[in-house]
Amino acid sequence: MNPLLYVIAVPFILGVLCFIPGKVRYIREAITFLGTAFGFTLSLLIFLDMPMEWSRFGSVLLKVDHLSGFTLLAAGFFTLFIALYSFRYMKDTLYPARYYGCILWTFAATAGALMANHLLLLLVFWGFLGITLYLLVLTGGDAAAPAARKSLAVIGGTDALMLLGIILIYQLSSTFQIDGISLHFNSLAAYTAFFTLLLGAFAKAGVMPMHTWIPDVSEHAPIPVTAFLPASLDKLLGIYLMIRMCFGMFAMNASVNLVLLIVGSITILASVSMALMQNDFRRLLAYCAISQVGYMVLGIGTGLALGLMAALFHMINHMLYKTCLFFTAGSVKQQTGSNSFADLGGLGRLMPWTFVSFLIAAFAVSGIPPLNGFVSKWMIYQSLLKLKDTGGSLWVIWLFAAMFGSGLTLASFMKLTHAVFLGTSPVKIVKAKIGESGFLIIFPMAFIAVLCVLFGIFAFSGPITLFLQPITAMLKPTISGVLPMPLYWSAGTATLLILAGLIIGFLIYLAGNLKNVREADSFTGGEELPVDTRVSGIGFYDTVRDLPVLGTLFKRAEAKWFDLYELGSNFAYSVGGLLKKAHTGLLNLYLLYILLGLIIFLILLMGR
Amino acid sequence: MEYLFAYVIFPGFLFTAVVGMLVSWIDRKVTARVQWRVGPPLFQPLYDFVKLLGKEIIVPRGASKATFLLAPLFGLAAVTLVSSMIWMASLYPDRGFVGDLIVVIYVMMIPSIAVIIGAFASKNRIASLGASREMKLMLADELPFLLAVMVVIIKSEAVHLGQIYHYQETYGMIFSSWSGVLAMIVAVLCMQAKLTLVPFDIPEAETELMGGVFVEYSGPPLAVLKLTRMMMLFTLPMVMVHLFLGGVHFQGMDILWSILKYVVLLVVIVLIRNTNPRVRIDQAMRFFWGPVLIIGIAAVILALLGF
Repeated sequence: MNPLLYVIAVPFILGVLCFIPGKVRYIREAITFLGTAFGFTLSLLIFLDMPMEWSRFGSVLLKVDHLSGFTLLAAGFFTLFIALYSFRYMKDTLYPARYYGCILWTFAATAGALMANHLLLLLVFWGFLGITLYLLVLTGGDAAAPAARKSLAVIGGTDALMLLGIILIYQLSSTFQIDGISLHFNSLAAYTAFFTLLLGAFAKAGVMPMHTWIPDVSEHAPIPVTAFLPASLDKLLGIYLMIRMCFGMFAMNASVNLVLLIVGSITILASVSMALMQNDFRRLLAYCAISQVGYMVLGIGTGLALGLMAALFHMINHMLYKTCLFFTAGSVKQQTGSNSFADLGGLGRLMPWTFVSFLIAAFAVSGIPPLNGFVSKWMIYQSLLKLKDTGGSLWVIWLFAAMFGSGLTLASFMKLTHAVFLGTSPVKIVKAKIGESGFLIIFPMAFIAVLCVLFGIFAFSGPITLFLQPITAMLKPTISGVLPMPLYWSAGTATLLILAGLIIGFLIYLAGNLKNVREADSFTGGEELPVDTRVSGIGFYDTVRDLPVLGTLFKRAEAKWFDLYELGSNFAYSVGGLLKKAHTGLLNLYLLYILLGLIIFLILLMGR
Repeated sequence: MEYLFAYVIFPGFLFTAVVGMLVSWIDRKVTARVQWRVGPPLFQPLYDFVKLLGKEIIVPRGASKATFLLAPLFGLAAVTLVSSMIWMASLYPDRGFVGDLIVVIYVMMIPSIAVIIGAFASKNRIASLGASREMKLMLADELPFLLAVMVVIIKSEAVHLGQIYHYQETYGMIFSSWSGVLAMIVAVLCMQAKLTLVPFDIPEAETELMGGVFVEYSGPPLAVLKLTRMMMLFTLPMVMVHLFLGGVHFQGMDILWSILKYVVLLVVIVLIRNTNPRVRIDQAMRFFWGPVLIIGIAAVILALLGF
């Protein structure tokens, strides 16, 4: 049997095994570990042994090239780490069978979707992922049910749209083979096909306007689920499909790219502004995750090789630091039982490992050099700058949106740092004697944080050369493996110099009176404050909310004026309300309806 | 090794620190003269620094100690990096040193972040308030500042510091165009906020927050913070000189001319600082996201039209 089938079948079968009833926790965990470790190892082997394919019924159904090989490897890696993290975090879950089974199924379906070379096969795996997402979110208990419904509605709805797009593609190019499709935007059908598929990718990746399920899911679903699907694998799938479409199936033109650039910029700015106002660890991370996808869409929207490379790199970096951030949120939740800013504060001293991992990941997402988030954002800026060679001056807007969005991200993470890890603790935390989480929580978190640093410092010699250049060379063959940019960022040198600066500062400390350290109560100008007065992070950016135009926008957004799901359900309910009025319960009236219907039917038949 | 020399001695840490102290002396002296005082002697900033080194370190009880003490060091390292990058771009415009304009913008944010994190770590409520203001101020000035930088990028069609330098050598400095003038005005206002000098010393606000972000610092950490401030006072105007006024040249009379550019900027800073009362944070935000932003947008549009 072909190894490509194993990577789908083995995790799937092991997932079924997880559903065998019984209360033995360790067996399920062992099965999960086996399945995810197998998945990761096999995807590594497949990555080393590319290209591979599997044909049946006269067509290539599964195919692994550089892009799918790399994304598969990333999926395997993150699934393994999520599983490791879950063993501790989810040990008290009420639905262990469903949880571990769905984790394995999700990996199997993701692997299938990434390797599928047949559009219908892709859609099957894609749809299956929607169901596993629904089931996984439901493990969050009753509170998660509305969020699960919402995610199913958004993802399922866009899946239906994708089916429409796939049919149109078949009509236009008479093939379902992804590598055989090459469409030009010369008809309305081509545009419709592109945008319906794009909406599917948007819903998975969480690009505006299809993003609304992510904040709700992250607030109520268990944290590993959020870290697993909306934060990493769904991003991976959405961006993967977008790249397949924009750099393979469709020959992009300027106006379609323009749409992507506009959507990307709006996504960055609007959702990071929402993040600024959140008062819950996980909701803030969720909004921030949405805004990061905007960067990837911008990179893809440039249509340039550099932009593609930057988008892919940003995707992988985002998976790293966002998974790490959700892990720290989980660690905090595990120890304190809450993720709301009102209940947290001053945890940095009590949970040092969590704090350091958080700080690294938070700086990475804010794009502080020399961490990985900076390098990929910097590459995206460079690709946006390159747009000026192809004419037009709109690049100024995209670049501006991207750079300012990064500043806003930093601001929202400063608020988070203060509200959760620094600042004063509320009385409850002081009394509760909170300590650090266990090894199985710290290890995945810290390991990924270290990767964030390494991917930043050795970006060009490491991930970019190893993974991204071959992909770019394959999808945009014009540049043939050469790094398509001048290197004006030497991360290694910068890191060394910053280290030198730290040493200088340390020497200054040494020259001073370092032995003479005294502890004293914090200085409040002689005023005696009650013990429970503290500056939590909640009112941090109220100044921004009180600004004229922006304030109104925030209030509208909080009232869900821009939420397609809410708008859609409101519409459905109002239509339903109208129809309800027709149901009076009088038999005569129903008979009249039937008669009217028959008459209309007859008229229609006679008309033919 | 050469880079290390550039970073530690010239034009990096040592050079920037010495000039920074000198510049802060000028600032204090001029301020004193404006207020009819005599002002400090030349070596006063150095005396202050050495004296602070000898003082004991007081750490507030229950603070995150390591974060509290490490944060100032990152600010120092970052400001040194910015200074070296800008000077190396003037000294060797054809060679790249570490990074380009975008890197400079990002590294320039690190000192503020370091101050914010340090203040948060002190667990002091007043410091927390100050730090939240510092963050909001950073947001406020970053928006128009990016627009001003866009003008430079549009004009010189480059983000490489050396290319920006060469462009201004060939076509005259950016400040000599209409869009350049507007962008420079915006940038100078933002610089005042980035230096957190009056009227934008909102995070420190001595009369209401007692130093705000710095309230818990003492001894060597405070010395490092003060030194970082002095170095910023030298480095940020140098960034402006490089971006808008053609950078520094080293041949003959050009040296004097280069120094003059910096001194003019310094005088502007000192004048603004001595003639304005402190504003509130919401006023500052409205100011930067209102009128200053509009000037910035106008500058970008003019630059795109070629003026």
